[in-house]
Amino acid sequence: MTDSVAETEIAVVVDEADAAAIAAETEATAVAGADERLAYQGVFQRLLIRPEVGAIIGAVAIWAFFWAVANTFGVATGFGSILDGAAPLGIMAVAVSLLMIGGEFDLSAGAATGTFGIITILLVKDVGELGGAGLSLHIAIPLSLVVALGMGYANGTVVEKTGLPSFIVTLATFFVYRGFKLGFSKLIIDNISVGRIDEGQGRGYDFWRPIFDGVWARNDPLLESRDALWLLGWLIGGSLIAIAIYEMNFRRAQKQNPIGAFVMLAGIVGAAATIWYMHNFDGRTENTLASALLLVAALAGFGGLALWRYERQKIGSTLFTNETLTWTLAGVASIAIGILIAGALDMEAQQSVLALVDALAWPLVLAGGALGVFMAYRSVAGFEDQQTAIRSVVTMVALGAASAFGVYGFMFMTTEQGLRAILLGAFVIGGLIVLAIAAYKAGRVSPAARFLVLTATSLMGLWLAWFVQGQSRSVKFRTEAFSVILLAAAMVFVWGAVSMFFATRHEDDPVAARLSGQAAKLGVAIVGVGMLTRLLFTTEAEQALGRTNPVNFRMSVLWFIGFAVFATWLLGSTKFGSWIFAVGGNKQAARQIGVPAARTKTQLFMIVGVAAWLVGLLLAFRLNTLQSGTGNGLEFEYIIAAVVGGTLLTGGYGSAFGAAIGAIIMSMSKLGIPASQWNSDWRFAFLGTILLLAVIANNFIKTKAEAAGP
Amino acid sequence: MSTALKRLLALLFAFSLVSAACGSNAPEEADDGGGDDSAEPTDDGSDDSSDDDGDDSAEPSDDGDDGEVDLVQGTDLTFYMITHSDEGPFWSVLKRGADQAAEDLGVELVWQGSNNDPAVQAQDIDAAVAAGADGIAASLPSPDQLIPGLQAAVAAGIPVYTLNSGVNDYQDIGATTHVGQTEVIAGNGAGQRFNADGSATKILCGRQEQDNVALNERCDGLAETFEGEVISEFMDLDADQTAQQAAIRAAMEADPDIDGFMGVGPVIAMSGLRAAQDLGRDVVVGGFDITPELIDAIEAGDVLFTVDQQQYLQGYMPVLLMFLEVTNKNTLGGGLPILTGPGFVTQDNAADVKALVAAGTR
Repeated sequence: MTDSVAETEIAVVVDEADAAAIAAETEATAVAGADERLAYQGVFQRLLIRPEVGAIIGAVAIWAFFWAVANTFGVATGFGSILDGAAPLGIMAVAVSLLMIGGEFDLSAGAATGTFGIITILLVKDVGELGGAGLSLHIAIPLSLVVALGMGYANGTVVEKTGLPSFIVTLATFFVYRGFKLGFSKLIIDNISVGRIDEGQGRGYDFWRPIFDGVWARNDPLLESRDALWLLGWLIGGSLIAIAIYEMNFRRAQKQNPIGAFVMLAGIVGAAATIWYMHNFDGRTENTLASALLLVAALAGFGGLALWRYERQKIGSTLFTNETLTWTLAGVASIAIGILIAGALDMEAQQSVLALVDALAWPLVLAGGALGVFMAYRSVAGFEDQQTAIRSVVTMVALGAASAFGVYGFMFMTTEQGLRAILLGAFVIGGLIVLAIAAYKAGRVSPAARFLVLTATSLMGLWLAWFVQGQSRSVKFRTEAFSVILLAAAMVFVWGAVSMFFATRHEDDPVAARLSGQAAKLGVAIVGVGMLTRLLFTTEAEQALGRTNPVNFRMSVLWFIGFAVFATWLLGSTKFGSWIFAVGGNKQAARQIGVPAARTKTQLFMIVGVAAWLVGLLLAFRLNTLQSGTGNGLEFEYIIAAVVGGTLLTGGYGSAFGAAIGAIIMSMSKLGIPASQWNSDWRFAFLGTILLLAVIANNFIKTKAEAAGP
Repeated sequence: MSTALKRLLALLFAFSLVSAACGSNAPEEADDGGGDDSAEPTDDGSDDSSDDDGDDSAEPSDDGDDGEVDLVQGTDLTFYMITHSDEGPFWSVLKRGADQAAEDLGVELVWQGSNNDPAVQAQDIDAAVAAGADGIAASLPSPDQLIPGLQAAVAAGIPVYTLNSGVNDYQDIGATTHVGQTEVIAGNGAGQRFNADGSATKILCGRQEQDNVALNERCDGLAETFEGEVISEFMDLDADQTAQQAAIRAAMEADPDIDGFMGVGPVIAMSGLRAAQDLGRDVVVGGFDITPELIDAIEAGDVLFTVDQQQYLQGYMPVLLMFLEVTNKNTLGGGLPILTGPGFVTQDNAADVKALVAAGTR
């Protein structure tokens, strides 16, 4: 295997973990207690109903998608660009999501960013009469912050005092900002591009610039142990996260079995030895051997953990019922068909299957249309009376035409590689979903049956991994994707084996909850450190290859991360955070239980103001000159990012962290097109599709996970 | 419900009256101080249909008094310049040219910017015809919506000129001539500049709007004359410069062969420069139009050139031409368009242009 166990790890792991997940915990909750308010929620259910989970899965999927098609995704430069593009959007999206959870909108947020930047520049500029105030930056920056807070306060107060919808109040503010930006710029400096903040040189510019526009060039610092740290970060962090999941999922035994601890230790030592072996010996046979050893080590490690701490259960004797057998075979068949088609496409036509595509174009378009009609038919009311019938027919025609057009557009744009990848992806993902359902159904029959289904899944993963390894022309598929799929298949198998023998917990266990919470946090932190070293440092070998474009990490990224963490903490761990949810959910009720609703909302508007001020300064220091149009119209992007991140438009529900992920999704979707060298004319069509899919997936996962409860 | 609706309508009506009143002030101010920009485009947009007569009967008399002092002819001429201006840096210079011409000639100029809304612009044109304009100069970003109104103006015997955009349609309208730059020719010129420089082989032509015909034509023109390869792609909006820069950077990273960047606007040109600097890559950058910071970059040698369509002339010339046609029955151009560009700003003349930019006329 290679030095890097690939960034796509999560992508595949999540997919397959889902399979196991949904099975495991739905079963868990199905038998839970009588009172649904006290019902125990399984670990996966708890994870999946979090608002940001859909966004994270979406982000990983989009990342994996572009990783597959674009060269610059997956290397540090690409990641630098993504974060760079996401930072200003993300800071605003996080603030806006807080406000939206609190039940309000701020349409002036976009224009506000430019406004506060321009105000600062105008305060700093010194060109004589009416040319600007000529203040020191030490004064100008706090002063513009005060203005920002004041504008936020004004927005909030007007909304609260008048009781008008914030939508219309802030729309007015938006126009005021727009007018002021243009009006004051032209009045004061007679120009609509407002420059330059570096006229504050000698008046605090040198002090503030590193704070708002410091650049950290990644190609200078060398760290030879970078890749080792990166790999270890994933392995140790990933294992900790896995342990947290095991701890949450299984019922603890009354009496611990020390033999299990030894087995687990042996597994860990074995894994370490295998990795050392892989690192030092390279070759196909060696890799195969190492993979097998690693699987044994993982079985020993997690099996030992289970033996040590968890309660045994009966594995059951019923294996397959007709139902589970059908589902399993369908899933296996789907994956097999995908792999076979992808293989066939490559073998029959070395250069191009586009001729085939041309020949099949119209049948496929018609098939797409027919599928659309069928989907519509499934969901329409019927044809009883005239009105229903007409409505049904219209729906069917519309959906049919839309899907036919979609297929046509796709056929028109696709390439041979694209077609292969998409066919393969569709069949494999479809198959995995079917297998997940099969595992869920089998879990209700007996633990042994579920184990068999998961084993089948794992074997299909193995086949897929070798197929990718053997067929792909791309090095990163042959190495990184291969390793990740293999690893995921192994994890599914281990999970299936352990959960066959050990009992799932159906009741709350505070000790286990705390323990696994800590393990998960530590795991995420370690993975984060591993990723950071990979992002921030370079190695001599890499420099020698000349493959590295300089990567500049800007302060804006740090501000973005800091702001997202702060907002997440604010929302999740403080009284103020609870108030935000309360006023957004039901303001009247919140007020009656003593939440200062008006004040909370006003403070939320002020937080948005501060965020806009921050973004304005980031832009001002970075660009030096701001156009008076800066930020106009971006407020909808903030709202979109927040919604993609799981925040509801109706308020009372959402996640600040999710909004940050939403911003990253937006940034990836924007950058993926140029990075893949696709025709940018299609960009918005693509962006729209991505956003719709992200939101649908988010919603789907959440409803399914909630419905899976008692 | 219905009373609420009535109230709303009444309110809207009242509001339109107020804004009409404001609108009628605008031209006066513009006339007084050449560089005064407080004539708001939004007001002009709303004074279209309801108040044309009140608007115009009032003003020429006002200004006639001032004007008659030092001018021979054209004392009470009122020309309309009806554009799709968004009051951006480009249009503010153009407007300044038009205002200057009006001041020099002692005529009344009504400036109307529609902020890229063809419907508003079409209304403005109809209103100008109804108001008995002595001449109309209009930009034609979306010809189909605007041609009928301008044809009606020609039919009414009003001299019509097109400016900035409309080179393909001015003859259909019956306009005397067009003052502007043809985008393809400007792009051709840019291509020749890159050829002369000789260091670029593959140019990324970045657009800041996705469906603007003129911007596409600039890239097409570049591809016509440039001897290497040109890829024309939409990057991101000027309002979001960070995203714009990131997109350009991503495109450059994805294709290591790109060694030239053409930004078809001044802001995106700077974004391209920053993206290249971020990557540490040696990329020849060319731009379109002028902002102070782009001039600075040209002066510093970071940007090779910018195509200047000298929009001051596009404001100044139509007013002058209308004046001459009305007062002396002169026409210029012989039915062919009058091109104001491409002019180029390079390191050689950057310093001179910079001073003029500061004065607001370039």
